[in-house]
Amino acid sequence: MPNARSGFPAAVWAILRKECRSEWRTRYGLNAALLFAVTSLTGVSFAIGRLTDRTDVLSALLWVVLLFASLASLSHAFVREVEGQTLTFLRLVASPTQIAIGKLVFNLLFLAVIELVTVPLFVVLMGAPPVRWGSFLGLLALGSAALAISSTLVGAVISQTRGRGALFAGVSFPLLLPVLAAAVSGTKAQWAGNSVGGEVRLLAAYAVALLAASLLLYDHLWED
Amino acid sequence: MWRWLLFVWIAGFIVLAFTWAPLVPVLGPTTRVLYFHIPAAWVTVVALGWSMLHSVLYLRTRRMEHDDHAAAAAEIGLLFCITATVSGAMWAKAMWGAYWNWDPRETSIFFILLIYAAYLALRAAIDDPARRARLAAIYSAVAFVTVPFLIFVVPRIYFSLHPDPLLNTRMKPDMDPRIVVGFLGMLVGVTGVYFWAQQLRVRVVRLERRLHLI
Repeated sequence: MPNARSGFPAAVWAILRKECRSEWRTRYGLNAALLFAVTSLTGVSFAIGRLTDRTDVLSALLWVVLLFASLASLSHAFVREVEGQTLTFLRLVASPTQIAIGKLVFNLLFLAVIELVTVPLFVVLMGAPPVRWGSFLGLLALGSAALAISSTLVGAVISQTRGRGALFAGVSFPLLLPVLAAAVSGTKAQWAGNSVGGEVRLLAAYAVALLAASLLLYDHLWED
Repeated sequence: MWRWLLFVWIAGFIVLAFTWAPLVPVLGPTTRVLYFHIPAAWVTVVALGWSMLHSVLYLRTRRMEHDDHAAAAAEIGLLFCITATVSGAMWAKAMWGAYWNWDPRETSIFFILLIYAAYLALRAAIDDPARRARLAAIYSAVAFVTVPFLIFVVPRIYFSLHPDPLLNTRMKPDMDPRIVVGFLGMLVGVTGVYFWAQQLRVRVVRLERRLHLI
């Protein structure tokens, strides 16, 4: 673990390593999220079958499945510390901003793993037409970044309230609605062969604004 | 005293708007919704900004009165947001034929409603006042980051049927000056109503806390 003298990146790196290691020991969050993603995909695919020509429905379903699968586990990063009563120790060795950024990077990696499994499975099961890789991956990356940034902050807030699990989805979902709307309309546009410039800029600006606000607010996360 | 002044001011401008100001050709009698709808939407942004300002001040100073202001402003802002949504939906029924069809403007204002409803849900879930104030302030500051996107960016990226009479892309009003006078009068009046309600609500919250202490 870092000590008071170690630099900022070193502390963030240590937090990230610690997150990965403790996740890898149990794989609790990852298993839950992947199971959730595969189950909801199965449900959707079973209910409506292959939808090769309805790209508007496909884009909405893709993002709803991704959002639900990740929302179930993204608050876990902080809730785990509270439930394991390890937060106090963590705060002794790193500043709130270092902890939050370490967990934010972890959440980004976590989302990447979930998407690596969910997206190919979605394309195969739903019979989606070939995507335009540049636009599609750009939208996916920016959407995930916004998702991770907002759920890291909300997760840290929610971990200090009663009824953490139920409240997390309720409080973080409204903040994510603009992301969902822009990502869905961008995904639809790339399948239709249209430009996704507007959506990409909107998602990027939204992610940057959320990140800037988060960086200013992380210091106030814990006091008592 | 100044409450009565506010009452006379608004009543006067409503009479003015309905008798003296002309109607916009295409909009017809529905023009008049602008004297209520736009001030309500404006006050929504003012109130949510006020909430954000006091949230940031709370995080800096840790004085509970800033939390009172932030909470009251979010509550009242939500009320004005509902007013703007409902008056907009009524206008949409008259002009577009349906109360709701997910026009970008409708989508944006509905997102804002949900975001600030979540703020109130978050407050309700925390018992300790200092902790509630701190966490709610963090959420409120982040929530306000979304407001400029939803109000100003989204309707300009996506095609919207919503008229843009005041701050259009040329940044100058192309309305009859009599409408502008009525509109600005209502804008000032409704903003006055907001700050009056805000001050009342803050007083109620303070009294509640004192009662709680006894």
